[in-house]
Amino acid sequence: MSISTNIWVWIAALLTLAIYSFLYKDNVFYKIAEKILVGVSIGYLLSVYWHNTIIAKVWNPLVQDKNFLVIIPLILGLLMFSRLFKGRAYISRIPIAFVVGTATGMSVPSSFENLFKQVQGTMPTVFSFGNIVILVGVITTLVYFFFSLEHKGFIGKVSKVGITFIMIGFGAAFGATIMARISLFIGRIQFLLRDWLGVIQ
Amino acid sequence: MMRIVDFLDNMDKRIIYLIVAIVVILPFLTPIGCPMKVTEPVRNIYNYVEDSIPEDGSILISIDYGPETMPELHPMGKALVTHAFSNNIRVFMLSLMPQGTGLAQDIIATTVREWNDDNPDNIKEVGKDITLFPFVPGVSAVILKMGEDIKGTFNTDAYGNDLDEVPIMSGVNNYSDIDYLVDLAGSSIILSWIIYANGRYDQKMAIGTTAVSMAEYYIYMNSGQANGMLGGLKGAAEYEQLLKLNEKSESRNEGLVGMDAQSSAHLTYIIFILLGNIIYFIKKKQEK
Amino acid sequence: MKKLCYLLLIMLLVGAYPALHAQTGTMPLDPDTAYSDTIPTEIVLRAEDTPNDAGSAITVTWECNDNLPSGLITIVRINGEEESIVAEDLMLTKEQVRDTDVADDKEYSYYGIITSPDNKYYRTKDSNPAKSEAQWFNTDRTDSFVAVLFITLVFVWFIQQAKKGKSFYIRKINGLDAIEEAVGRSTEMGKPIMYILGIGYVTDIPTIAGLTILSRVAKKAAEYDTSVLVPCYDPVVMTTAQEVVKESFTEAGRPDAYQKEDTMYITQDQFGYAAGVDGMMMREKPGAVFLQGLFFAESLILAETGHSIGAIQIAGTTETAQLPFFVAACDYTLIGEEMMAASVYMDKNPLMLGSIVAEDMVKVLIIVILFIGLLLGILGPGLGIDIFNNWFEWLIRII
Repeated sequence: MSISTNIWVWIAALLTLAIYSFLYKDNVFYKIAEKILVGVSIGYLLSVYWHNTIIAKVWNPLVQDKNFLVIIPLILGLLMFSRLFKGRAYISRIPIAFVVGTATGMSVPSSFENLFKQVQGTMPTVFSFGNIVILVGVITTLVYFFFSLEHKGFIGKVSKVGITFIMIGFGAAFGATIMARISLFIGRIQFLLRDWLGVIQ
Repeated sequence: MMRIVDFLDNMDKRIIYLIVAIVVILPFLTPIGCPMKVTEPVRNIYNYVEDSIPEDGSILISIDYGPETMPELHPMGKALVTHAFSNNIRVFMLSLMPQGTGLAQDIIATTVREWNDDNPDNIKEVGKDITLFPFVPGVSAVILKMGEDIKGTFNTDAYGNDLDEVPIMSGVNNYSDIDYLVDLAGSSIILSWIIYANGRYDQKMAIGTTAVSMAEYYIYMNSGQANGMLGGLKGAAEYEQLLKLNEKSESRNEGLVGMDAQSSAHLTYIIFILLGNIIYFIKKKQEK
Repeated sequence: MKKLCYLLLIMLLVGAYPALHAQTGTMPLDPDTAYSDTIPTEIVLRAEDTPNDAGSAITVTWECNDNLPSGLITIVRINGEEESIVAEDLMLTKEQVRDTDVADDKEYSYYGIITSPDNKYYRTKDSNPAKSEAQWFNTDRTDSFVAVLFITLVFVWFIQQAKKGKSFYIRKINGLDAIEEAVGRSTEMGKPIMYILGIGYVTDIPTIAGLTILSRVAKKAAEYDTSVLVPCYDPVVMTTAQEVVKESFTEAGRPDAYQKEDTMYITQDQFGYAAGVDGMMMREKPGAVFLQGLFFAESLILAETGHSIGAIQIAGTTETAQLPFFVAACDYTLIGEEMMAASVYMDKNPLMLGSIVAEDMVKVLIIVILFIGLLLGILGPGLGIDIFNNWFEWLIRII
């Protein structure tokens, strides 16, 4: 057993314990750790964006490379600050519209291609029990999500099969998540026992 | 009997937390050595790296996660880099999340140090065998631009060196020069890689994700958009197992050591779920 | 001393030779002197404009020679008198490289320097000259174009029908009536409402649907004079949410009750956000919690905290992996597209109404394609009838 002498490991370990103390009940240690987490993450993000966006994508191209085209996105970005001025806040809609427009333009064709690939993947190229289950599952789930048809009679029965598939899917996902949560906990326990307390190798 | 049922029904949640903590900690102190089967999606990735990437080929690993999902995804990154090193494959890393760059640096520092300690006759260097691109905001825009011009997307590596000067970049312009892409993420960034890198540029790729998101991304293997998947800590452990079995690395075991704890915790959960249901039905019968 | 200087100079020159050689090795060399006599004539470089791109790219291809399977090739661009390296020491087996550093409508040709495994250099003949140009259409994506056109037409047609006043049936979405109940209960208890939009961006469809439902919730809250807390993950989502809440309060005739600071930014760190919202939930103890938007691993943390404080919880997301937790921990859950349908059901806006019906039609189309695929699959690959096999392959190819 060799307990860590590194101050940062100690800080990380104590903050981990402070967060886990929430499982007992809400307390001052949890609150401190929560505030530190929120504060540090904002600070970290700010510094990353400053160096990798403002400096690398705006300052350097403008000042060093004399690439004045950068001024256009810079102005669009600055327009976001119009929200700080009452009565001029509507100007910020221009860059928002730009972002929404380009993102939609980029994603629509690609989303269609993705949809085609999924339809293609659902087609049973090899006849196996698994493939047929997938096909039935996809069709009945699609029927469950018909909103312009009343779920009665045949449609009602098919959509019931659909929701059953959905719930089985949820069950599988729930199981996988328990595994994930345990993994995260294992990660922290490994840190506490190995890096902090030195109990395990 | 009813007293036990009442006790269990009204049991303080904190007792359950305590039991789970104990069953997770104990296997670390007294390892059990649970057997583990390597699943096909994990084997597919291993086999692709092993058989389909030539020596001096290239693999791109995107570290798109923060510290919160690090326990599950970090061992995957380390295992993949170690495998690439053992086959003399060039490794390019990047992160589309600001927090990921620091984690990628950690993977590079740890794997290079450990590899060089274990293999003094095949020393790996940052810039020659492995590199990290800096964080650039704009997820899908970055993925798309990399398909045209990787150097133009990043200009420098994360250590400030001009990409034109870094030896590892020789002959690497866009996805057509990348043999394989593995995205490690617990968020929808995976979907962006699938839609843009695989969909638009036909980049061969695999997924490494948290167990939470596993169910969601299985469909992309069925459609052939990804050829393999590492799911959660178990996925990482399976990859480490393959590295060990094929004598690629002896020391990579971050995922493997957690598997005993994972199995014992799962067993505890199954018992709790069964107990909960039994109590539910007994109570329901009692109410009638 | 002089001798020592000479010796040092000779050593320096000898030491520098490999470096100089390496330097020249990576630069285009004079073909007559530096290369080995035998030129593998089998390797012929072909240059052509990269198809379906925005210009500034020429693709150089070659076929790998069996005699040099592990050789390396450096591709050199010839631009008039000027020569420059395009890509250095590529595996010969790669058989293709894209030169993205060329100007459009200008002629370039290429040659390769092959390094054999025994470190001999060979120079290939010059390739054919090629020009790069941009294409207006990417023919590889014709299928997407046709699909977008067709589906757009379906949407436009149904939206037009809805605008003309044709009434479309929309089935009732479970959990929608609960919105009023939840807002009412919060008001009775004198507690605020918390509306969590998740960790999506304003470009994510679930976030947009979440914002639509927020407008309804905020309007109800304004009518009941209850405050709505909206902790946000993304600054753009926050500003949009502020607009939505403000408009809803105005519509309800209570612009004075709108509190801008109730819609606040937390952090753009997934679990930092979850911790922040959790803490706020524990302190403010809202009577109703709405979780509508894009959620990932933080979903259960948020829903469980909401459950522990006894709030009515109405959740909705399209993230299939997170839905199980909402189903388990919340009172009502809008599953996937139900979220979008819910906003239509509430609003009966013709644009949205037409869209939802058109979406159903696209689903029918997908089911029909799947059935055709199944039928052809049974008759073709299943029973081995050639004509159906060909049709099946054709269907897979066009999709």
